[in-house]
Amino acid sequence: MMTIPSTLDPDSLRSAGMQYVRSSRRFIDEATPSELATVLLSSLSLIAAFIGFLLVSSWTVVPFAVFLIATGYGWAKHQGLMARALTLSMTISTLVILGLIIVFIFLRAWPALQYGSAEVFGLNVPGLRMFIQTRWNAAADPIRYSMLPMIHGTVMVTIIATLVAGPLGVAAALFLSEIAPGVVRETVKPAVEILAGIPSIVYGFIGFTVLSPWASDQFDLVGQGTYLFVGIVVGLMALPTVVSVAEDALTSIPESMKSGSLALGTTDWQTMTSITLPAAFSGVSAAVLLGVGRAIGETMAATVMLRNNPTIPDPIFNVFYGYETLTSLVAANYGEATGIQMNALFVAGVILFITVLFISIGSQLIEARMEQKLGGVE
Amino acid sequence: MAQATRTSVMRRQSTRTRLLAGTAVGLAALIFAGSMATVFGVVSLTSQVAGITTVTLLGVLLIGLGLAVIGFGVGSATGYMDSTPRESSGIVAGVAFSGIWFVVGGLIGSQTLGIGTIGWVVSGLLLGSGAFVLTVLPREDIGSTVPAGIFAAFAGLILLSGVIGPAWVWTPKGLRASFRGELMVPVITLFASLITGWAAAKAYGGFGARGRHMGAYALIYLNAIAIISVLFVLVGLTFYRGLPRLLEGITIGLGVGPGTTISLFGVSVTLALPIQWPFAMKGVALTNTLNGVLPAVVGTVWLVVGAVLFAVPLGVGAAIFLSEYAEQGRFTRAVDIATNGLWSTPSIVFGLFGYAFLIPRFGGEKSLISGMLTLGFMLLPLVLITSREAIIAVPREYRDASAALGVSKWETIRSVVLPAALPGVVTGVILGVGRIAGETAPILLTMAGGTFIPGSQTVNVIGGFEFTASPPFVANPELLDATSALPYQLYALITAGVGGGGLIEGTNSFQWATALLLLIVVLSFYAIGIGMRYYFRSKLQS
Repeated sequence: MMTIPSTLDPDSLRSAGMQYVRSSRRFIDEATPSELATVLLSSLSLIAAFIGFLLVSSWTVVPFAVFLIATGYGWAKHQGLMARALTLSMTISTLVILGLIIVFIFLRAWPALQYGSAEVFGLNVPGLRMFIQTRWNAAADPIRYSMLPMIHGTVMVTIIATLVAGPLGVAAALFLSEIAPGVVRETVKPAVEILAGIPSIVYGFIGFTVLSPWASDQFDLVGQGTYLFVGIVVGLMALPTVVSVAEDALTSIPESMKSGSLALGTTDWQTMTSITLPAAFSGVSAAVLLGVGRAIGETMAATVMLRNNPTIPDPIFNVFYGYETLTSLVAANYGEATGIQMNALFVAGVILFITVLFISIGSQLIEARMEQKLGGVE
Repeated sequence: MAQATRTSVMRRQSTRTRLLAGTAVGLAALIFAGSMATVFGVVSLTSQVAGITTVTLLGVLLIGLGLAVIGFGVGSATGYMDSTPRESSGIVAGVAFSGIWFVVGGLIGSQTLGIGTIGWVVSGLLLGSGAFVLTVLPREDIGSTVPAGIFAAFAGLILLSGVIGPAWVWTPKGLRASFRGELMVPVITLFASLITGWAAAKAYGGFGARGRHMGAYALIYLNAIAIISVLFVLVGLTFYRGLPRLLEGITIGLGVGPGTTISLFGVSVTLALPIQWPFAMKGVALTNTLNGVLPAVVGTVWLVVGAVLFAVPLGVGAAIFLSEYAEQGRFTRAVDIATNGLWSTPSIVFGLFGYAFLIPRFGGEKSLISGMLTLGFMLLPLVLITSREAIIAVPREYRDASAALGVSKWETIRSVVLPAALPGVVTGVILGVGRIAGETAPILLTMAGGTFIPGSQTVNVIGGFEFTASPPFVANPELLDATSALPYQLYALITAGVGGGGLIEGTNSFQWATALLLLIVVLSFYAIGIGMRYYFRSKLQS
């Protein structure tokens, strides 16, 4: 089991820092000069190669070659140390990648935010106009890049998708973890995973060729593309995420709690509703939250099935007319977008990234809390 | 404790009512299946079954079912039926029923009576709150059957009287959409069969704790069956529509396939595959009798190879560090959050990042290597998470035993921990590859170009390497070119629309065949991954 310090008081922080300093000093004391030189050369050349790559230098290849040679030498001579240094740099690279994503999409979004700035109480707020007006028009004056139609579309699709994926997913997770007999579980579980494996463009294709024409025909719609059916398809795609995470949460409830309840003479369903589900509540809500994150970020099905025309439907809750989501805006417009319009697409990316990152962190906090709570119960 | 002292006489009596309730559940399931069949157009509402139209039959069945369900409730309340009901059906059932009846009341108010917006809200609220009171206040046997039974009987009456029939159309003002009877009739019967089926299942269990158990299980089983059938319908439909074109023109025989000429010591030998599969082995050309998607197939293969080469060493290395070397603390916590953040980052954001970060650094144009790295970034968190789980799952004793023999930490990791964790790591990688192989959004912005690519433009990465005099000294134009991949190919075919520029014969079947090929590629990764997991798990248990 991992142990995560729950409190980060200054004392423990300082002692952790001291420990770090001590361990690195011990490392420098114990390592031979040759070891030290190799690791130093390898890590410095890696940093140099990274900087060269960032600066778009064609000389990047030189420090990278030095890194390869130094690492190869170190691997042959001091394998244990080199392995440790290498795996550390690999771990740091995940942090670096996330950092790069944040920096680069923000940098590219900035010009559009500046273009769309508006004054509030004499204060110039960049990007504000993109969220108080509803006009998106890249061709005719006044050229405006409002994000509101897309935010509205994403909210519509996500609400419908959550209504599909939430209840059905939690019910399926209950089925898998508590109800289904062994053989049935062993067939339904892979089926749910395969449902997650079907590529989103295939969902979109079936939606586009089968579902959308059918819907237009049934409801006498003008043209094709409805938030209702995009939401249902996206909900289906988010379903496996909800099922697998919720199932993990349900199975993590100690068997002793369930059998204690059953021993009192309750039915299975009573145990589920009054013991298992309440105990796993935070895990199950984290699952639904992750499903919401998936639904927000789903791109291809929305792009193919929607009308790709940034407008707010009339009336605003009209689910039979689907125009654009944040994701489909990027996928449908990247080709002909230039200048500020391309930057505006990055603004959509920033909104998506921040929203989903917060959802991800939120669900992690919820899960960590559940782990703590269960740890206390046991 | 009354259940413990039940006599055999009571049990016999309850068997009969249980039989009746079971029949009602079966009838509800039958109506549910029939409604589904009409939604999908398998059965027409106006077709004749045994001399009467389907819609009349559905109406009669619904009235019968509704009356039967009310009968169960009344029978239990009057003591005729053996049951153990609770004091109330509960708030959840109350809210569900009041929601349904609010809609009914609103529709009656606005459509039948025509009394304006305030009118229909009032009539909806009246019926909705009435249903809530009727559900929550009386004992459970009445509360959970009567509102359901009345709804089913009412729906049956509406169908029988023809108020809502196959020809019925309702166009709400301002919505620019209309609701037709063809679809609404089965939707109504679906709803009615669901709630009466639930109520009958409760009656089957004799209400109370057992009844609720039965009612809930009926719905949960139905949900599981529905999910499985959606999967079968999706995969089955793709196979049905795509298979003929996918397999068209396959010939087997010596030397019929695409060949390569190998020249060695002045002797050139032409080797050719003994199979010709036009859809997967040819590009698009005017001279082809059958066009194919060879460049996309090869592009997908190289994409996966590149992403795996980038992400697997990085992910496994980071997993080793996190689970073997690192002390749990702020650093590992930050990496945890970053990994999960990367995992949930939308694929289109990866595409934007690749567009902003990688493309300027690899020649300024869309390129294969940008696509590979973008997908590698996506694959990284998947590999990291699954490898870490697999490494943590290796028992502590393995490491202790190795350390007790005086083996160094890295040697222990290399020769004890990693081999033991290998199955888990490989399974995780395969499932991750299945996921990224079907991704379209990231490569849309970083790699892909062109809808119909001739076979001559198939990438040849290995043959593309060359050395140059100026830095970076090694170049591979094949890696720096835009190419296609199966998911992008499908997207391009969809956006190109019917006709597809006249180059492709039968665009629609070509699209379906591409979708099927993509599905087969991705699902085979999943099948292998899931199969491996079961194999190793059973080996571990035995």
